[in-house]
Amino acid sequence: MASETRKVVVHLRATGDAPILKQAKFKIAGADKFVKVIDFLRRQLHRETLFVYVNSAFSPNPDELVIDLYNNFGFDGKLVVNYACSMAWG
Amino acid sequence: MTIGDCKAAGNEAQQYVWAGAIPLQIHLHDSEVTTLPPPTPALILASRLGYLPLLVPQIKPFFSSSLPPGVDTVWFDYKGLPLKWYIPTGVLFDLLCAEPERPWNITVHFRGYPGNLLIPCEGEESVKWSFINALKEAAYIINGNCKNIMNMSQSDQSELWLSVLNGQMEVYRGVSSKLKLDVAGDDFSLKLNSSSSKALQGIIDYNATAPTRTGRIPVRLYLRSIIEDIDDLEDSPIVDSWDKIAYINHPVEIYGNCFTLHDAIKALLPEFFAEKTSTDANLRVEEVGEERGSEETSSSRSPEETAEASNELTGSLSDNAEIKLVRIQGIEPKLEIPFAWIASNLIHPEHYLHICVYVKIREPINI
Repeated sequence: MASETRKVVVHLRATGDAPILKQAKFKIAGADKFVKVIDFLRRQLHRETLFVYVNSAFSPNPDELVIDLYNNFGFDGKLVVNYACSMAWG
Repeated sequence: MTIGDCKAAGNEAQQYVWAGAIPLQIHLHDSEVTTLPPPTPALILASRLGYLPLLVPQIKPFFSSSLPPGVDTVWFDYKGLPLKWYIPTGVLFDLLCAEPERPWNITVHFRGYPGNLLIPCEGEESVKWSFINALKEAAYIINGNCKNIMNMSQSDQSELWLSVLNGQMEVYRGVSSKLKLDVAGDDFSLKLNSSSSKALQGIIDYNATAPTRTGRIPVRLYLRSIIEDIDDLEDSPIVDSWDKIAYINHPVEIYGNCFTLHDAIKALLPEFFAEKTSTDANLRVEEVGEERGSEETSSSRSPEETAEASNELTGSLSDNAEIKLVRIQGIEPKLEIPFAWIASNLIHPEHYLHICVYVKIREPINI
């Protein structure tokens, strides 16, 4: 199926005092789970505890497929993912 | 049936959902038994809308004297499959027990958390976090934002969570009504409820605009495929890996008044409604176009036409796959039921409708 090979553009945005990444936009396979985005951020930021949100609103379950999140919450051709070192939106 | 009856029936369905429970027989995993004789299994009635980690305070006393030394990291498995704790208990049961087993025999572990397979869980706090975020996600799907949830007072949020934790439907309804997440197709009964003449005008307006009203229903769909040729679901092979369950998080848009569960399943799983190579293929393509895009054309269909279309579609299921079972809240609703009713009455408290679908796949013959 086409959707399985589809790539999604993820736009990573720092919130609060979280460090800003040099490269903020990434392409990721739609069939990957959201946990891949979280793990990527953990590695980049060298932090175990990280709060990751979609559209400055909610934290999706790490098991969600990136393509589902993109279809449900993406706009302008990308999925906006916010990350913070402390809880930003409770 | 009067409208009052309808409303009462709706309430009644919700009451059944909230009262729904599964008898669990919980065994301590052999590797953690340090006493002779081993502890007897714990029998517990678990709420369908609840989550397994919330049972730990009740379960632990049964086994604490048998456990090896160490720190508790509690998880559960069913026939070797680690159970995802953030999926409601009733959904796990509907999905993994093809033929409902009562009591449901599952295994508890207090050690050796499979961190590579399961998301970490720190008891009630983790479950609450997951619940509130799922609620926000659902609100985002319904309203395009989740301000209502984010602006909830701390006390309302905690009351909402406690009502779910303790299975108190009335308390839950009191708090959640403030969130304005009602199903759009259910406005009708709301309007009938108020008695002013303005409301009557509302009904007339409603009737005038009804065919074009839409509602987005947040859905989590779990798809279990059965490849072997079995006649009895009881003989379904056990699920030994979550990779064998396809999962879709995809809202369903309700078009018009005649949108049924069948229409919803078709919108969620179009691949199982693929056309046969028949002569009326063109006609079917048109139908799909209608379903997908233009609200106008699909809403102008009369109920009879819709029913006719669904009958035809049941017959046109893909040759290689067959939907065996659609299970929601432990029941197998008729596919002709209006989806707005299903959404209003069978949703979970986080405003997601969880649907389990069993599909039989016939493997293509390779030459």
